[in-house]
Amino acid sequence: MSDRPTNVLIVGVGGQGVILVSKVLTEVCQARGLAVKQSEVHGMAKRGGAVFSHVRFGREIWSPTIAQGEADVLLALEWAEGLRWLGHLSRAGTLIADTRRIVPLAACLDRSWGAQPAYPRRSPEDLLAGIANGFAIDATGIAMDLGNARVANTVVLGALSAVLGQPAEDWQPVLARNVPPKTVEVNHAAFARGRAWIESRPEPRPAASPPARQPVGATAPMNGVRLVITESWCKGCDICVKMCPERCLALNGAQVVELSDAGACTGCRVCEWLCPDFAITVDRGGQEPRA
Amino acid sequence: MLDGRPFDILDYLRRDLMPHFLCPGCGHGIALRALLWAVHETGIAKDRLAVISGIGCAGRLAAYIDANTFHVPHGRALPFATGLKIARPDLAVVVLTGDGDCLAIGGNHLIHACRRNLDLTCVMLNNEVYGMTGGQVSPTTGAGRLTTTTPQGNREPAFDACGLAEAAGAGLVGRELTLHPPTLKNVIKEGLAHPGFSFIEVMSDCTEIFGRKNEMGSSGEMILSQASAMRPTSYGSRGATAPFHPNAFPTGVLARNERPEYGAHLRAASASDDGHD
Ligand code: SF4
Ligand code: SF4
Ligand code: SF4
Repeated sequence: MSDRPTNVLIVGVGGQGVILVSKVLTEVCQARGLAVKQSEVHGMAKRGGAVFSHVRFGREIWSPTIAQGEADVLLALEWAEGLRWLGHLSRAGTLIADTRRIVPLAACLDRSWGAQPAYPRRSPEDLLAGIANGFAIDATGIAMDLGNARVANTVVLGALSAVLGQPAEDWQPVLARNVPPKTVEVNHAAFARGRAWIESRPEPRPAASPPARQPVGATAPMNGVRLVITESWCKGCDICVKMCPERCLALNGAQVVELSDAGACTGCRVCEWLCPDFAITVDRGGQEPRA
Repeated sequence: MLDGRPFDILDYLRRDLMPHFLCPGCGHGIALRALLWAVHETGIAKDRLAVISGIGCAGRLAAYIDANTFHVPHGRALPFATGLKIARPDLAVVVLTGDGDCLAIGGNHLIHACRRNLDLTCVMLNNEVYGMTGGQVSPTTGAGRLTTTTPQGNREPAFDACGLAEAAGAGLVGRELTLHPPTLKNVIKEGLAHPGFSFIEVMSDCTEIFGRKNEMGSSGEMILSQASAMRPTSYGSRGATAPFHPNAFPTGVLARNERPEYGAHLRAASASDDGHD
């Protein structure tokens, strides 16, 4: 093993067994003589809230937490939690996510007819396209197939052991002593299914280039002036709309600014200066007015 | 200045952290642009810029700047900056702080920073309230203003931060609104250029918390209303208005105080000490 620590971030919601997964991983690493640090937050677990656990192991470990963009493996027992933590995954990192969705109560507050829960709508295919190594596994489905939905975490654990490239024999005894005696058998089966699922996948693809961060809407030049609007940064505060001396800006239906009267814009830069969110840039093609 | 290019704020932002966390219409964003614009025009390279901030809405801004930035405990931005500037006089050290951070929690540090006159630029964003914690009264809340802790209106007079800084000996003292970004930029530039402690107060708007509580209208209306009650120094002698309402304060560069700069003084003194032992 190299000197660089391995970072595994395990996320999910209360009751899924995030802590069990991280405990097994920690004990396996300890048994192999590695330094391990594990830290978790589970305050909201009883309410089905977010739970996460950072596990870092290697020759020597200092910090107990994983910085953004530094997780080698992101293990998500719940789909939206995986999305929430995606920023922690490193460029070359591996995502293993259960595709089952647990929609939180707060996402269902809109009770009007036909309302959609406010749950992320990105499809697994769309998500995996931007990640070096992504595995969307229906772990809950596999667990139900085995007759106990609660071992979905063990299915994912099996997948993790395969991704880390460690022999199953190291994991099985640790798993057995951490689960209730009556469920040892079904947990072993779940572990084996998760491991087999990963091993049956094709070789990982090379990392796709990350998608561009900034969708930029630019208007065609008018009067030699081009307004570049970063729509995703605009918060619809209407400062620019109110302050534009030519009254040529407006908020559209999505409360995002747009140039409503391109011919009137003089390129005075008032909107650029006053936008608190840096969403507008006035491009005068090098012709600068006195400021 | 980056190769003589015109100012583009994107050059100075950590773009992967954008959009920033400020509420829609928060004046702090306008002030941040003006600061970076001033840095650009002064020609300070990003590697040579250090921005230190404490806690609060203003305290979060340093994180968005692509330079050497530090987010330090509440009220302690000035002492941290003092240590940094003494150890690294080659850096341009800017403190970005809020009214609560600078005048209440770190109030004592401010007066001593002014007294020492070390070459720092302290930009205090005054939004008259503790916005991040939900809108409690702050030292600069105007008399009569509503906050969550003054439901009947603030009965305390507001602090004149610039008056305090001047009296404590700051090298340069200025105040500006967010409504006039080029003027604000110029005042900050004066601060950056001044070889001593400069204190710049920016009248910012907290639309979401303070503005809403006091029914000050949309963000645009709010910054306009601040402006209508402000009085540029060029329109009359300062100090004529009773300083109990921040909106009646004068703006512009208010005071210059040519005193020895502390860092140079300290280095000279320690050099001569070395000769003795
Ligand atoms: S550049 Fe001036 S005229 Fe053009 S949209 Fe902006 S504020 Fe209006
Ligand atoms: S000032 Fe900026 S954030 Fe506000 S509406 Fe205009 S573009 Fe959007
Ligand atoms: S709470 Fe007030 S000061 Fe803080 S970000 Fe929101 S508007 Fe700005």
